[in-house]
Amino acid sequence: MKLLSLKNVSKIYNQGKIEVPALRGVNLEIDTGEFTTVFGPSGSGKTTLLNIIGCLDKPTDGIIKFDGNNIADLDKSELAAIRRKNIGFVFQSYNLIPVLTAYENVEFAVKIVDHLTKKEIRERVLKMLSLVGLEGLEDRKPNELSGGQKQRVAIARALVKEPKLVLADEPSANLDSKTSEDVLEIMLKMNKELNTTFLFSTHDPLVMDYAQRKIEIKDGLISKDERREKVDVFN
Amino acid sequence: MFLIKLSLKNLLRHKKRTIITAAIIAWAIFFYVTFDSFLLGMNDMVFQNIIDYEYGHVQVANQTYWNEKDELPLENLILNNQSINQSLTKIEGYQSHASQLNFQVRLNDGVNETPVIGRGINSNQTLSVLDYEQYLEEGEFFKPGEYKVVLGKRLTEVMNLSLGDYVTLLTRTESDTFNTIDAEIGGIINTPNPSINQNVVFVPLDIAQSALNIDNRVSHYIVKLNNKNFNSNIINSFQSTLNDQNNNLNVYSWRDLDEVSITKSKQAGNTMILLIVLTIAAIGIINIVILAALERMEEIGMMKALGLKENEIIFTFVAESTGIGILGGIFGIILGAVSVYFFSNFGLDFSMFIDIDMSTFGIPIVSKIYGVWNPWTFVYMFFFAIFGSMLASILPARWAAKKDPVDAIYRR
Repeated sequence: MKLLSLKNVSKIYNQGKIEVPALRGVNLEIDTGEFTTVFGPSGSGKTTLLNIIGCLDKPTDGIIKFDGNNIADLDKSELAAIRRKNIGFVFQSYNLIPVLTAYENVEFAVKIVDHLTKKEIRERVLKMLSLVGLEGLEDRKPNELSGGQKQRVAIARALVKEPKLVLADEPSANLDSKTSEDVLEIMLKMNKELNTTFLFSTHDPLVMDYAQRKIEIKDGLISKDERREKVDVFN
Repeated sequence: MFLIKLSLKNLLRHKKRTIITAAIIAWAIFFYVTFDSFLLGMNDMVFQNIIDYEYGHVQVANQTYWNEKDELPLENLILNNQSINQSLTKIEGYQSHASQLNFQVRLNDGVNETPVIGRGINSNQTLSVLDYEQYLEEGEFFKPGEYKVVLGKRLTEVMNLSLGDYVTLLTRTESDTFNTIDAEIGGIINTPNPSINQNVVFVPLDIAQSALNIDNRVSHYIVKLNNKNFNSNIINSFQSTLNDQNNNLNVYSWRDLDEVSITKSKQAGNTMILLIVLTIAAIGIINIVILAALERMEEIGMMKALGLKENEIIFTFVAESTGIGILGGIFGIILGAVSVYFFSNFGLDFSMFIDIDMSTFGIPIVSKIYGVWNPWTFVYMFFFAIFGSMLASILPARWAAKKDPVDAIYRR
């Protein structure tokens, strides 16, 4: 089932009098439950593509359909409403709130979305923290967690509201290879268990090995789009 | 609710910064409350001084005389007759009254000469209205017909005079001819009102009237009522009575006096200065919100990515600033209450710090100044701190919340 489609999407940044094209007519379709990576050299347009798909930025031209609705022409508050309900984000530098505990950081994301009861919120947050392997660390603040643990909290925060799409911008950039593997395994596990669609940008070949689908982007255009039948990292 | 919780936690993020900003607000409130208390105390004392030692509660004078009274004219005086004296006793709340005659005098001790206000009085009448008797340091007040004067202590010090010395009062009659009164200093008073102590020479009314050649006329009447805070209807009612008598006299409350207006103007000026202090506190709040927003730019980006609305992000900053305002407000009113308690009980003697005569600044106070409790100032300042902090944070919070999410996340 098609979750996302981009038709001829372009993005031009104006830097003073100079126009810098970041995307030059990208066409892309992503189905529900895909685990996709976007890779390419720095400045190729990966982050711009993720920002536009994530409703953080608007394209200069083109059509973007999210869950069947064209979102290219929506205003800021309508885009915020889509992000709130349907999209989770995992950032390279985690972007956790330092004054909140791991539990509260995850709780924050679900509290702004659903009108669930306290008990339901608690159950959902604890379940999510347990799924990412942070059982027992709920009360720790970000400065009491390792880089990998912080990224797990960020993953739990992205998934707790049960979004249709999770976008991760270089999720392993600040992690060592062992921790990166752990984090990717967790993301893949979530993808399988919750059927959540994952789209992440990376430079890291290890990350690419985990992806079912690899999209290479060069100079603002998709230059390669490969699919693999099955990725099994749990054996 | 969660956003309030986040704001409270953010308050503790930089404890020192929160404490310093709250302390600025607390200091501003403490300063305002203490100063306001002093101003009120000073006002009360000024008004009480004016009532007790100069004007009484009500004055009756010819309207034209009243307008020119500072020049001490001898025109438009009132004939001191039975009818007007009887009318005065009918004012509601009446206690006593006295007639007075103010005139220009040059006080001469044979060597030096200084201009002062001559005040012709009937001692018994005047002492029943004004509270001079307990401040008579030496001698006594004169009887009618005695060639004696009573001087303020400050004036005797300036002129180097003592009880029993003789002085000459040089004056001009109504027809502008010179005349003199030679009199013995029969008494020296030292009231809490410095203008009485240094500017006035009291003379028996009949002696003054004779020297000025004005028959039985007086400048005005002063009336003492049983309550300072009398209803203004009393004045209106008595004015109607006087109008019926068609004698061109007007009734003036102590509240109408120029000195009261000047004191109130001074208070307004001081309030302006204090508002400037509070503006500095507001700038502190704006500063802290901008700093916090700059520091938390990535968090703001993350919040926007999570789908938080601009209003919700503004709310977190405004709630945090309001928290600082509440903290500052609480500490400020506690400090202010301690300060007002101290100064209302023990007062402040400015001469302890500097050898200063408050009358130099036109404030007729020579003793300590006591603070006055004004609960409304506390309530008003507490809410001012809260709403001020809240309002001061809205613009910088809006600026932070309106940041493009991508720019915020990547700190562009």
